[in-house]
Amino acid sequence: MTTTPHQRLRVADLSMGWAGPLVGAMLAEMGAEVVKVEDTRHFDWWRGSLSMGSPEEHPVERSAVFNSVNRGKLGVTLNLADPRGLAVLKRLAATADVLIENFSAGVMERLGLSYPVLSALNPRLVMLSMPSFGADGPERDARGYGNTVEAMAGVTGLTGYHDGGQPYTLSNALGDPVGGLNGAFAVMVGLHERERTGRGQWIELAQVEAAIPLMAEALLDYQLTGKIPPPRGNRHPRHAPHGIYRCAGENEWIALGVEDETQWRALLNALGLQNLAGDQRFSTAEARKRNEDALDEALSRAFASSEVEEIARRLVEAGVPAGQVNSAPSVMADAQIQARGYFVPVERAVVGTHLYPGAVARFSQTPLEADRPAPLLGEHNAAVLREILGMSDAEIEALERAGIIGTRPLG
Amino acid sequence: MCHSERSEESAEGGFCLHPASRGLLAGLRVTDEEAAQSQPQVARGCREPLTGETLGSQIRLGAGFFMRYNSLSDIRVVDLTHHIAGPYATRMLAEMGAEVIKVEPPWGEGARRRGPTRDGAGDTAGDRGGLFAFLNTNKLGVTLDLRHERAREMLLAMLDGADLLVENFAPGTLAKLTALSPAELLERFPKLSLVSISNFGQDGPDRDAPLNDLVLFARGGWTYPVGEPTREPLTPPGSLAQYVGGLYAAVAAMQALYARSFVLGCGQHVDVSLLEAAVATMIYETVTFQYTGVTRERTGKRYTIGPFLIVTLRCRDGYAGLHCVTDKQFESLSEMMGRPELVRDERFRTAYLRMVNSDALLAIVEPFFLAHDRAFLYREGRKRALPLVPIPSVAEVLEWEQLKARAYFETVCDPVLGEIKIPGAPLRLSSHCPEPTRPAPRLGEHNRAIFGERLGLDDAELSRLRQAGII
Repeated sequence: MTTTPHQRLRVADLSMGWAGPLVGAMLAEMGAEVVKVEDTRHFDWWRGSLSMGSPEEHPVERSAVFNSVNRGKLGVTLNLADPRGLAVLKRLAATADVLIENFSAGVMERLGLSYPVLSALNPRLVMLSMPSFGADGPERDARGYGNTVEAMAGVTGLTGYHDGGQPYTLSNALGDPVGGLNGAFAVMVGLHERERTGRGQWIELAQVEAAIPLMAEALLDYQLTGKIPPPRGNRHPRHAPHGIYRCAGENEWIALGVEDETQWRALLNALGLQNLAGDQRFSTAEARKRNEDALDEALSRAFASSEVEEIARRLVEAGVPAGQVNSAPSVMADAQIQARGYFVPVERAVVGTHLYPGAVARFSQTPLEADRPAPLLGEHNAAVLREILGMSDAEIEALERAGIIGTRPLG
Repeated sequence: MCHSERSEESAEGGFCLHPASRGLLAGLRVTDEEAAQSQPQVARGCREPLTGETLGSQIRLGAGFFMRYNSLSDIRVVDLTHHIAGPYATRMLAEMGAEVIKVEPPWGEGARRRGPTRDGAGDTAGDRGGLFAFLNTNKLGVTLDLRHERAREMLLAMLDGADLLVENFAPGTLAKLTALSPAELLERFPKLSLVSISNFGQDGPDRDAPLNDLVLFARGGWTYPVGEPTREPLTPPGSLAQYVGGLYAAVAAMQALYARSFVLGCGQHVDVSLLEAAVATMIYETVTFQYTGVTRERTGKRYTIGPFLIVTLRCRDGYAGLHCVTDKQFESLSEMMGRPELVRDERFRTAYLRMVNSDALLAIVEPFFLAHDRAFLYREGRKRALPLVPIPSVAEVLEWEQLKARAYFETVCDPVLGEIKIPGAPLRLSSHCPEPTRPAPRLGEHNRAIFGERLGLDDAELSRLRQAGII
C-alpha cells in the first residue's frame, strides 16, 4: 500500500514479544513508518527467546520469531530510564500517529509516558495499550504470555483427547496472534475515528478479553445446558467418522470428517470399503456415532498402507473434507499454499534469506508488503533521530557517548 | 429479567462524541415495536468525560454497562456472510458502531440451525442457537432470495451508498448471485470495497475443496505438534482458526477503508483465505524450522521448542499451566517449591540446561504440583511474579474475578434464548460512551425498516415480495 510521504502513518512501537509487535508489523505491511523502540539493556525479549551463542555470533539477531513479527520496521534503541532518552521518545510520540505498548499495567505511568502526558503533547495520537489481563482489576499486575492467556480464556481446558487425560497447550501461543490482530483492528478503528473527530484516543486491549470471544460457543453451551462441555479430542459431538488416522510412513496422518450420507458413501467408495455400507453398525449417522470406536478401527486399517498426499487428494476430489496433518515443512510444501505464493522470501543481515508468511489479506489495488526485513538492534538510530526528529550529528553522538542509544546488547 | 426501558442519559454525557449515530436505530425502535421489546438491559450512561488515567475504572458502569461503540458510525456494511468467520468479522465492525445489514435467504443462513441449545440437541429447530446469537449481535437482519431478479435489484440498491460488502460464499458464487463480477461490482459502486473470505482463497488448485474445522487446523499446521508422541496428533478445540480468519478480514476491511481515504479514492477487492490465516499464526514452526532445521514433534504435556519449560501439570484439583523460561522465573519456581538450592544445581543453571535436563526438572516439579491445589499454586506463583495459571473450565472463566471486576461479560436479553452472558468488546476506547449491545436479529426482523424506509418500498410491495417468497 503506497502512500505519499505526508500521508504516511508514523508509528512508535514500544511493544515486545509477539502480540504487540504483530500490530506494528501489520501497519508496516500497509507502508506505515514503524519505529520499533528498544533499549540496549532491555531489548525485545523475543530476540533472545530461541537463540543462544557467543556475542560474535550476534545471538540477538538470530531469533526466527523476532525476525518474523518485526518485518518492515525501523530499529531504534533508547534508554528510557534516562531523562535524555525519555525526551527523545517524547519527541517521537509528538510526531507519531500511533503508539503501541504492551508493558505490564502501570509501567508507562511510571516512565512518565501515560496517555494524558502523551496526548497533551500530541492530541492526535492513537495509543494502544495491551496489558495481558487488563489495566484494572485484581490481576492488573499479572504478567501474561500467549500460553497463559490461552489457558485463562478457557482454550487449554478444552484441548484434550476424547478418552480423557490431561489438557494440552496449543502450538501457536494463540493468545498472542489473536491479541495482535485485535490490536491492529483497534488502531485502524482509532485512526478511522480520528479522521472524523480530529482527535486521537487511548485504547485498552486486554489480551485475554480478545481471546475469550473465540470460545463463545463453549461458553454458551455451558450456560444453555448447565453442563461443562468436555474435551472432544478429534471427535465431533454428533458426526462420525471424524478423526485423525495414521497413514503409511514415519509420522504421516490424515484428518477427515464426515457430516452427511453423501460424504459417507464417497468416503467408502474412495477407500474401496463398500463392504462397510451394508454393515449394520454403520448404517445410519446415529449408528456410526454409537459405534465410533469400531468405525475408527476399520478406517485405521484402511489408511495404514495409504500414502497420505495421494489419499487426501482422492478424498477431496470425492467431496470428503480431508487433509494431511501438516508438519512445518509440509505446511510450506502444501500445494494450495505454494500455488498462491503465500510465503515470501526476505533477506536479512546476519541470518540471510528465509521464507516468511506473507500478508494474509490480498488487496486488488494496494497490496500489502511483507517482504522487508526486521531491523538489527539500533540499526536505524542515526537515520530516525536525524531524519524524523531533526537532530544534529553532534546531538546524536552525545546520546551515543552517554549510552542512551547503542547497537550492542548490554545486560 | 429483561428490561425494556431505555435511558437517554448517555446522550447528555460530556464525552459522547457522536450521539447522532443513533439516527437509524432510533428510527427503527419507533417504527418497529417488536424490535423495541427485544432491547437488552440498559443502564446509566457515562456522566464524566473519560480520561486516560481513569479509563479502566470509568468504563465500568455499575449494574448494567454498555459495550458498543460508535467509532464506525459513518460506515455502512452489507453483510452476505454465514457460519462463523464472516459473521465474526462483521460482528467486530458492528461492535465498533458500523451499520451492518445481515442479508440472509428467507429460510435463514445455516448457522441459525446450529446449537448450542437449552435441550442439548445439536441443532436448533427455530430461529437460532447460542453461537448465532453471539456472532450476530448489533446487526440488522433482512431476508432476500437472491435467485429472484427483484431481490438482486434490491441488493444492488442497498449497495448504493455502502462502504463494505463482506461475503464468504464459495468462490464464484457472489458473481453468479449478482450477475456481476467483483470488478464490475466495484466499477458500479466506486466507494464500495468487497471483502471475500473463503476456505482456500479465490484461486489455486484447492479453491473448491471441502473443508471443516478439523481439516483446517490440520492443514494449517496447528495439529501436528500437539498431543502425545505415542498417539495421534490432537486437534485444537472448536472453530478457533475460523475466528482468526475473521479477525484478518476485519482488519482488512478497515485497511480497505483507509486505502480509500488516503491512497486510492475508491474501493477494492480483498481476498482472505482461512487456510493462510491459520498458517500465518504458525511462525514458531514454519520460520523456526528454516532457521534450525528442526521440526517440532509432539511432546505431550511439554510445549518444547527451545529453552522453555512451558508445561501443563496435574494438581490436586485439576491442572495448572506453568511458564518458566527466564532464570528469574526459575528462581521463583524453586523458591515456591521450598527448594531454593535448585538455582545452584548445575543441571538447571541456565535456560538451555533446563531444557536439556527437563526430565530431571519435571521429576521435581510434578510431585509438588500434585500435592497442592490450583488456588494455592496460583496465589504463590503470583506472589513471585511466576506465570502460573489454574487451567479453568468455561464455567470458571465465566466466574473469574478479574473479568467480573472489569465487567467483561455482557448480559444480553436474547429474544429466543433469554438472558445470556456473552463476551464483551475487547477494546475499551477512551473517547466513548458505549451503547448497549443489541441481540442478534430475528430472521427478517428489519425487512420493513430497511426495504421500506431505506429503499422506499411501500407496504403493498413488501407484502407482495413476502408472498412471492422473495423476502
